[in-house]
Amino acid sequence: MQGTIVENLSGRKLSVLVALLLLAQVVCFLIGGLIAPTPSSAYNVLGTNCVDRGNNTPKWFYNRGKKGMCTNYDLTSYMDEESKLEMANRIVFVFQIPLPRENVSLDYSRWQQNLIGVLQFDVAYHSENEMDPRTIITIDAKLGYRNKGDPDDEWKPYASAVEERSLDCVIDNKKIGYYYNCSIVPLFELGSLHHDFYLLNIRLPVDHFKHINEKLGQLENMWLITINQNGGFTKVWVSLKTIFFPFIVGIMIWFWKRVHQLARPPALLEYMLIFLGGALTLLNAPLEYLTLYFDMPFMLLLGDIKQGVFYSALLSFWLVFAGEHMMVQEDNRHNHLRVYWKHLSAVGVGCLSLFIFDMCERGIQLRNPFYSIWVTDIGTNLALTFIILAGISAGVYFLFLSYMIWKVFQNISAKRSVLPGMSSVRRLHYEGVIYRFKFLMLATLLCAAMTVVGFILGQVAEGRWKWDESLEIEYTSAFFTGVYGMWNIYIFALLCLYAPSHKKWPVESESHSNSVSEEIEFSRLPTEPSEISSLASFARKAALD
Amino acid sequence: MGLASEQEVWRSPQQVHAVGSSPLCARLPGLSPGQDKQCQLYQDHMAPVGRGAHAAISECQHQFKERRWNCSAAALDQTLFSSVMKVASREVAYLHAVTAAGVAHAVSRSCRDGHLSSCGCARSGRPRDLHRDWIWGGCGDNLEYGYKFTQGFVDVRERERKLRRGSREQARALMNLHNNEAGRRAVIKKSSVTCKCHGVSGSCSLITCWQQLASFREIGDHIKEKYDSATEVRASRRGRLQLRDPRFTLPTASDLVYLDESPNYCVRDLTVGSLGTQGRHCNRTSHGMDGCNLMCCGRGYNTQKMTVRERCDCKFHWCCYVECKMCTQTVEVHTCK
Repeated sequence: MQGTIVENLSGRKLSVLVALLLLAQVVCFLIGGLIAPTPSSAYNVLGTNCVDRGNNTPKWFYNRGKKGMCTNYDLTSYMDEESKLEMANRIVFVFQIPLPRENVSLDYSRWQQNLIGVLQFDVAYHSENEMDPRTIITIDAKLGYRNKGDPDDEWKPYASAVEERSLDCVIDNKKIGYYYNCSIVPLFELGSLHHDFYLLNIRLPVDHFKHINEKLGQLENMWLITINQNGGFTKVWVSLKTIFFPFIVGIMIWFWKRVHQLARPPALLEYMLIFLGGALTLLNAPLEYLTLYFDMPFMLLLGDIKQGVFYSALLSFWLVFAGEHMMVQEDNRHNHLRVYWKHLSAVGVGCLSLFIFDMCERGIQLRNPFYSIWVTDIGTNLALTFIILAGISAGVYFLFLSYMIWKVFQNISAKRSVLPGMSSVRRLHYEGVIYRFKFLMLATLLCAAMTVVGFILGQVAEGRWKWDESLEIEYTSAFFTGVYGMWNIYIFALLCLYAPSHKKWPVESESHSNSVSEEIEFSRLPTEPSEISSLASFARKAALD
Repeated sequence: MGLASEQEVWRSPQQVHAVGSSPLCARLPGLSPGQDKQCQLYQDHMAPVGRGAHAAISECQHQFKERRWNCSAAALDQTLFSSVMKVASREVAYLHAVTAAGVAHAVSRSCRDGHLSSCGCARSGRPRDLHRDWIWGGCGDNLEYGYKFTQGFVDVRERERKLRRGSREQARALMNLHNNEAGRRAVIKKSSVTCKCHGVSGSCSLITCWQQLASFREIGDHIKEKYDSATEVRASRRGRLQLRDPRFTLPTASDLVYLDESPNYCVRDLTVGSLGTQGRHCNRTSHGMDGCNLMCCGRGYNTQKMTVRERCDCKFHWCCYVECKMCTQTVEVHTCK
């Protein structure tokens, strides 16, 4: 009878392997903490208020360049004349990014991957023009780009849209000159940062017939906050992927070869393992290299989908893993995915609803980067429905999983009480199996717990964000590389330890001296040499008890 | 106002690149030798520095408009960093703090609109290749840059002279340094942190935060609060500041400190920064500092009836125009003798 490697590995070899994997884990964490910079940076850009001399001219307004740049118009200089009525339609807020530093005009690199734009409004309080807590504003936005070597005024259109956003403004201290505390207004998300310079022109047109932007208060400044991934983080991340990729592919090939050397067809658990490895390989594939040469705005969406596929594979695997070690039913019923349809549908529904939500948000953003599902009421409800649905599925899933794990542990403890009556060799063997099963269980729990704790710690650390320059360790990056490495190592270990073993069981000479009851129990087991995990057969035996 | 006219000069985009004596810095009155050196190095910073100092003076005038000392003496001062007032009073403490805050605020702001191209990417230990570095890990915050620049530019005045330990000049320098720091900290204290989630599917697995500057009025109010709770200190023989009255709590880095009791500012004495209250308007019914009794130091006041036409019931519209009614009313104006 053959089992998996985890059962046949000696304690020494197992501990060496575990130590090596732990070392790899620590290295992953340190790479993130010591080498990589923070995953992303934010920059505040103060808008230059240009005046469109014509009426809604299609030309680009920019504030830096050799010629034709516009000068700033002071929005605080309010005038009495009624003729200034159309002034609002002529003000263009200009943001030219990235900002120059130390007399160097910086440009975006393709390593910086993506760009998120958020608007923030400085609305001054004035007792004669109080703002409502929620104002719908209409933004006419135009995004252009330019590359190095192009003339300063040659901006090419990238995207444009007229979008509505809601602006929530509150003020605690109603004093003239104080700013409202306004919510941020997410404006755009670019999935690729293919060009060198970007230019954003924003107008807040006023239309008294359609009641557009009438309720806006005394807007003094408009800020654009740009968030981009840091090139250094991308480099470290892609290197990590490039290293993991061949390892996981290699261990998958090795695993599959081993499975095929057996006489029986592959078991369900083995299919699940190879599926899990496949999902991880998909996640590991370093597609970011392609973004250096091609414009791939779908990378954000693709990243989300890849992560979704991986997590659904992982969650399904845990379910099947717990289920295959329970075996309450008859033999021929298991080993089919059909048995788990109830449990897996929770995973399916959750992932599907998140996928639909993502398609509605980031999918449409491929066509219009200014789009957001959260703007309209229908969109918000739709998005919330999908997210709540995903949340409920997650809850159902964890109920299922905890129930199954509880069942497995019950079976094991039931078996434990029978253990003292067994022969010493068999007892040692079973104790070892239980130990290793629990060990793996513990590893899974530890991984999950570390992810959750790390995530929460990260949130707390970000919450009281401060600029402490003595802080040398980039916690967020360490968390990301650490967790990414952890799941890679975890799956590597699973593929490694759960591959079928070629070692034969030692022939038990003492089996004759066993107690009668145990003889009978074993005689009830299938007599043909079973190649599935002896742990599973052990658990099945426990269920038969 | 001296500052306003200077500012126009500084705003002009012409830049003199040669590091040496440039006419721009020579035109700025009241720069100390150290500041002059900084001015040569960071010529384009001088426009925001001027704007910041100007905003600080207007803020000071706004905050103190109902007091005997109404900051006008500081506004009359031709130099950037009022060194005229010889008395180390609470008011001087406020003035230093608000000026440092104004400069830090203005420099940070100018960095963010891209017109101040020489703003640092400041992070200590940064290698030489700025562009590669920016791609690798991004740049530091502009607020931090404004703070650091102000630290160098404003504080250098107090640091460049060799002062005898325990002397009055040294105590004054320490006091100014402390209050400058308090002003800069007020800018940071009042700035708010905003965050955005942008992880997988827009979840909060990845959060990025940034600092948003507060309005300068808010910063001014904050420093005014610090003015009201300022602590009186004196120099110890070892050349450090210590509490004059040990019963009070120790001031923190963001509190204001002063050495001398304020004069009453009733009579004109420019050496203590007092213009006197003669000719100031006062409020006959008020019992506060703006009341005629206190404001005029008991000298009495003249009353004049005036008919004023002014804007009232104003309604502001985005963008940039204001609808007002004109109201005519007769008011009594009281002026101190």
